[in-house]
Amino acid sequence: MKLILTDIEDFDFEIEGEHKVINPQGNIKNCIGCFGCWAKTPGECVIHDGYERTSLDMGLCDEMIIVSECYYGTVSPFVKAAQDRAISYVQGDFIIRNGEMHHKHRYTNHFKLSAHFYGEDITEDEKKTAKDIIEGNAENFDADFEGVYFYKSKDELKGLKL
Amino acid sequence: MTVALINASPKVKGSSSGILLNDLKACLGTKVDIEEICLRTSKLTAEIIEQLKKADTWVVAFPLYVDSLPSHLLACLKQLEKMTWKNKNLNVYGIANCGFYEGNQAEPALNVLKNWCAKAGCAYKGSLGIGGGGAIAVSGNTSAKAGPRANIFKAMKKFADRIVKKEGEVNKYATVAFPRFIYKIAAQNSWRKMIKANGGKKRDLNRRLDTYLEGSTN
Repeated sequence: MKLILTDIEDFDFEIEGEHKVINPQGNIKNCIGCFGCWAKTPGECVIHDGYERTSLDMGLCDEMIIVSECYYGTVSPFVKAAQDRAISYVQGDFIIRNGEMHHKHRYTNHFKLSAHFYGEDITEDEKKTAKDIIEGNAENFDADFEGVYFYKSKDELKGLKL
Repeated sequence: MTVALINASPKVKGSSSGILLNDLKACLGTKVDIEEICLRTSKLTAEIIEQLKKADTWVVAFPLYVDSLPSHLLACLKQLEKMTWKNKNLNVYGIANCGFYEGNQAEPALNVLKNWCAKAGCAYKGSLGIGGGGAIAVSGNTSAKAGPRANIFKAMKKFADRIVKKEGEVNKYATVAFPRFIYKIAAQNSWRKMIKANGGKKRDLNRRLDTYLEGSTN
């Protein structure tokens, strides 16, 4: 299953194969740093606003594609809130991988991760940061980094096939 | 000189970012005036904006979430970018508190803050990336000069000097004052204690949500 995480409300891009789209459907609450998703209701965020099970979607996907406005080299607040609320894709426990500390897996899947960033004046520094962050996400989720792509506007995304 | 100490942790109390800012405040002493600010939600109040305007130096302390800044801080930065900080000689420093042992895992997130400065017209002056954040939260009542925060406090003193002298430098990194394997074990123990305190069992920590939901409906 392809999991598309996007801040585009009227997301109507062509998507090949089985997929699920997570996009703004009412307000999303931000993570409050309570760690309840690790140590109270493991695997599920304690805030019930419709976005509490994104980590399960991540656990069931074989490809995750982020489509987001670029905010200074990272994703937009909506996409970030969904990501922050989905940290229970992994467990609180640590492991050492490639010499660095990361979190232990909860699920057995292994997905491909890519990101499409749009925005009017994305600088070269922001592009570099965005690549570093998505690569970092892939490292932390033990996912395969598939690339980051940049578009000068939301309109330029039209025709994108996922 | 007025320094805004901006706690961008969403936690209401007991945040590691708050503890680190208190340590910085102690290092800054009476050399500067301080404005203490909490950014916990996505919306900036008029009062917060006024506090920010009073300062010529900002120190933004935040927890590292998914290799980046917490979502509410990104939303706040977007609102702030649109205001007129240009020509105000505003200096911006960051403190990233990283749950992993290696503080340099926060580097891309600190670059987000740097990129924001470039867009908003402020001077990015470098940051501190702190590793072992989980130990900071539980060491809040102990002296910063000894114990888990000893290394961090040393780095904080130098960081405070840089702020007072308005110096710019590359990012610096520090971590808690004990080995990585002990930090790893301590974290494992804390999750087990926490799930028990919440009425769960140790084995629940690694439960798959799909399997759990299937079991609860059968």
